[in-house]
Amino acid sequence: MKKLMKSLVTLITYVMAFIYFFPILWLFITSLKQEKDAAIIPPSFIFSPTFEHFHEIWNNGVAYYMLNSAIVAIASTFIALLLGVPAAYALALYRIKRSNDILFWFISTKFMPVAGVIIPLYLLFKSLNLLDTLSVLILVYAAMNMPLVLWMMRSFFKDIPYELIEASQVDGATGLNTFFKITLPLVKSGLISTILLSMVFAWNEFFFALSLTYTSAKTMPVYMTAFMTQEGLFWAKMSAASVFAIVPVLILGWFSQKQLVRGLTMGAVKG
Amino acid sequence: MAENLISPPKVEKITLEKPRKLKPKKPPVKRLLYPGLIFVALVTQIPFIMTIYYSLQKWNVMRPDLGIDFTGLTNYLYYFKQPQFYTVLKNTLILTFGSLILCLILGVIFALLMNRQFFAKGIVRTMFVSPFFVMPAVAGIVWKTMVTNPNYGFSAYFGELTNSTPIDWLSQHPLLIIILIVTWLWTPFFMLVLLAGLQSLPQELLEAAEIDGANKGQQLLYIVLPHLLRYFEVVIMLGLIFILQVFGEIFVTTSGGPGYASTNLSFYTYREGFQNWEIGGASTIGVITVILTIIVMTFLFSFMRRRFKEELM
Repeated sequence: MKKLMKSLVTLITYVMAFIYFFPILWLFITSLKQEKDAAIIPPSFIFSPTFEHFHEIWNNGVAYYMLNSAIVAIASTFIALLLGVPAAYALALYRIKRSNDILFWFISTKFMPVAGVIIPLYLLFKSLNLLDTLSVLILVYAAMNMPLVLWMMRSFFKDIPYELIEASQVDGATGLNTFFKITLPLVKSGLISTILLSMVFAWNEFFFALSLTYTSAKTMPVYMTAFMTQEGLFWAKMSAASVFAIVPVLILGWFSQKQLVRGLTMGAVKG
Repeated sequence: MAENLISPPKVEKITLEKPRKLKPKKPPVKRLLYPGLIFVALVTQIPFIMTIYYSLQKWNVMRPDLGIDFTGLTNYLYYFKQPQFYTVLKNTLILTFGSLILCLILGVIFALLMNRQFFAKGIVRTMFVSPFFVMPAVAGIVWKTMVTNPNYGFSAYFGELTNSTPIDWLSQHPLLIIILIVTWLWTPFFMLVLLAGLQSLPQELLEAAEIDGANKGQQLLYIVLPHLLRYFEVVIMLGLIFILQVFGEIFVTTSGGPGYASTNLSFYTYREGFQNWEIGGASTIGVITVILTIIVMTFLFSFMRRRFKEELM
């Protein structure tokens, strides 16, 4: 009886997972259909698959916008790390006056909605002739993700036994040496998941991208909305474009899912 | 380690130094904080102060002939008199708390289901987590076209099955659909954090309770949930930060309509700023958005602290 209950709960889990994942699955399936099969009633799993939409989207230059998104995600994450990791290191390992206040201040900048800063940023970049350039997106995304980097990396650094670092300093290593040779390898997996998450947020961000770019610096989310406005009736084609937009981050996400939670929660839960 | 401490070169070095340098030098760790502090302040805090300043002006970019006037609190008074302002405010609260509650309920259920051993657990977790990584723009497209379109796809199919007119979800229940999209995107995050909480629960506690005769329900109510409180707090805080700012889902599906029926404060700012080109008006809404965010955060946390004081201490 108990065994039956257990299998039943497992079955429920499978069904719920399938339903939950279904919209993504359906997107992939639709992208392989011919246009005439895509919107058919009843929706069908049986069709002759085709890759023509992927060819077409690729030939129409989706790579350009993917490259934009990739550049913005990588560069902004790099800057966020450059500023966030040292700060996290200092907050985690040294006694600093009012360190809790500093940490809270950083987190509270994430409370700041885009709506609260977008108008002045838009006007500023417009007057500097920087609208529709990748550099402004890199800049705002770096600021957007830096508190996140700080928050996550601080909790990973906190897990390092302080004696390890002390020992290497006694051995005569300089601060920077200790950091690269001892500390960084110890937080490697945490660092990787922080990098991936920051890149995911930058890749998916929409409000800034929509307001600060028009054509040449367009990123994938903005490309997708333009695509929907123009070709929203062609479900199969649109699904193929969506696949291009979500697959890179889905893969990054699948790799980082385990570590992700630890970084986001432990710092707050353990204090 | 001890050997190194008394190794000759070190001693020699110290004796050669001037007395005041003998003091153990503190590493200049504060310097590590400044670049980040300054950068984030420049990109987020100063623009916000500018937003406050612009909110006191009458300025339409498309009408340069009207010029820029300093009008004090006129913008605020204007919006407080607009009926759509209250619609937007209500939408923001319904959208935020509706999604938050659904995320919490589903998050707890998924976390409990995943906190067991079963076949192909890794794949199942990946399926649950995936929506979290889908960009809001694409999530909106999928839901708008394939799930809720009344003429084709699943909504139409179910209409046919039940022999009723398919519901045009996005024009009849726009806010509900947006709540569902947001819930779909954010539940995985709630699940992951709560699952981490469940897995940190000491098994002995549950065993002890079982010996004392507590059934599954009692164990959940008196042991598991109190243990999870801290995790609830974290996940609510981080989740709220993002859910309060929902934008892409609305832009793609309803553009805030029909009328203002699915416009939240973020989207209202966009409408005023980038569709009506009212710099002063958009800034006013932006300031109100920030104030509301702060109020919601403060209220929620002081409430949670008070309510669960004993457990959190």
